[in-house]
Amino acid sequence: MSATTRIRTPARPVQAASRTLKTRILKAHILKAEWTKLRTLPSTWRTAALTLVLGIGFSVAVALSQMSQWHTMTAQQHQVFDPASASMSGVMIAAVVLGTLAVRTVTAEYSTGMIRSTFSAMPARPLVLAAKAATTAAFAFPVTLLGNLAGFELGQRIFASRHVAVTIGHPGVLRALFFGALAVSLVAVIGVGIGGLIRHTAGAATTLALIIIGGLTVGQFLPAGWRQYLPGIATQAAVTVHRSAGLLRPGTALVVLAVYAVIALGAAALRVARRDA
Amino acid sequence: MIEAQHLTKRYGTTVAVDEASFAVRPGRVTGFLGPNGAGKSTTMRMILGLDTPSSGSVLVNGKPYRDLTDPLRSVGALLDAKAIVGGRSAASHLAWLADSNGIARRRVTEVLGMVGLSDVAGKRIGTFSLGMNQRLGIAAALLGDPETLMFDEPINGLDPDGIVWIRNLMKSLAAQGRTVFLSSHLMSEMAQTADHLLVIARGRIIADASTDEFVNRNSTASVRVRALQPADLAAALTRRGALVERCPDGAMIVTGLDSAAIGAVASADDITLLELAVHGASLEEAFFELTRDETDYHAGQLTGTSQGA
Repeated sequence: MSATTRIRTPARPVQAASRTLKTRILKAHILKAEWTKLRTLPSTWRTAALTLVLGIGFSVAVALSQMSQWHTMTAQQHQVFDPASASMSGVMIAAVVLGTLAVRTVTAEYSTGMIRSTFSAMPARPLVLAAKAATTAAFAFPVTLLGNLAGFELGQRIFASRHVAVTIGHPGVLRALFFGALAVSLVAVIGVGIGGLIRHTAGAATTLALIIIGGLTVGQFLPAGWRQYLPGIATQAAVTVHRSAGLLRPGTALVVLAVYAVIALGAAALRVARRDA
Repeated sequence: MIEAQHLTKRYGTTVAVDEASFAVRPGRVTGFLGPNGAGKSTTMRMILGLDTPSSGSVLVNGKPYRDLTDPLRSVGALLDAKAIVGGRSAASHLAWLADSNGIARRRVTEVLGMVGLSDVAGKRIGTFSLGMNQRLGIAAALLGDPETLMFDEPINGLDPDGIVWIRNLMKSLAAQGRTVFLSSHLMSEMAQTADHLLVIARGRIIADASTDEFVNRNSTASVRVRALQPADLAAALTRRGALVERCPDGAMIVTGLDSAAIGAVASADDITLLELAVHGASLEEAFFELTRDETDYHAGQLTGTSQGA
């Protein structure tokens, strides 16, 4: 009997260790599968190109319009002019376009029925949603960063005409570039969550667009104290260098977006795990 | 091996699958036969852990599907060949499936070759015909070299070559000792492919038997006879207890005596036979016989040369 005892005693930690190893392998497989899905869809790369073209174009247009109105602006407005955020308006375009890409990673599978292949291959549904969120967020980050960087560089050339340009080494500029990209990554996570909750591409994409852009219109009617917590306004706040009225601090804005992301993804995971596929 | 115990699925007051208990065993092709809407697809979705049973349970290789590690290595399934995002290439679609279960990428090339899609591996799935989609779906099912295979209406949209190919594939997979579970509403196809039948109607399993046994038990074989002296033969056969039905073309359909007995009667009475053909009992007849009271429609409406898709 002592032989049995000797074998049994160490068996438990070994089993537990093999379970954690199994879970780790499972997560790695799911993550790899979702990344393969994302990168093998040609529309993913077209969406990235569209984000850059529209985003940089919008950044330049806003920068030009600001300069053309420069002489009508008050001295105080000149004082608080933020050359970083004024050249990165494209971050809003990135939020909408890449957020929609994230929505579609879920809704395209529900509308075609491919979600059944996905959930038969990977029955751990919350992990599948988490992997979709992680991969689209990871994809959105460099695309947005590139767009922000291009917008910033082009914007500063435009601002140089009024001698209000800053360099990339200026305090807060690098933070604005990176926080902008992080904000869009968090919007992508929100997009996956909305996709899992609504499941239809049109409905989910419209909801996401309203959440991001709707804040700029409907938000006008909200008290300023509330308005700054809207996801779209928080995304704008992420690319600021100076503290401006009606916007959260960049770090706080990211925390707010992260809270939305956790809520949306968590609710979607619960819903998707419970309902029939 | 698939084992269901009192498997039930209700949607509101509708019972889609009603207390189904059955076992699908390895080494043979098991046909899952029933009219559209009988509960075949719902049962298959519950087997794959996609739909949660209202009550009862179903195990695959002894475990609930969701508890399988790398499920594609245990169970390969084709539910709906068109349920696929069209933007990827065939190879990319199989690549993510392989990644999801830690299957080597070279297996993708192998299965594409097995289903004859090597030449279009890099083409967008959106450009595929339904038949090519079916082949891709079968490649996906074979990807993990699984012990259990499940196909929902796999011959839909296939050309005659494809149908023969799939029939042989199913048989060879079963001959390798795998569990092959195949649903269809096409009874003639089942008669040629399945060794064993599970018949479902209105969510209930109404037969679980070998295909031969099912046909023999549920239908009557008949013999078509033509003779030079039809009246004499009809009288002689009727005397021996056979049921004779005269056809407009002069032939007779005889039930209750087999062809050997009919030949013996004719020879004893010096009657010249012109034709003697066993009209084998068909799966269609057996199926209609069995489901007459079970289907949602009257048997009279269902009976015909084809049930339709």
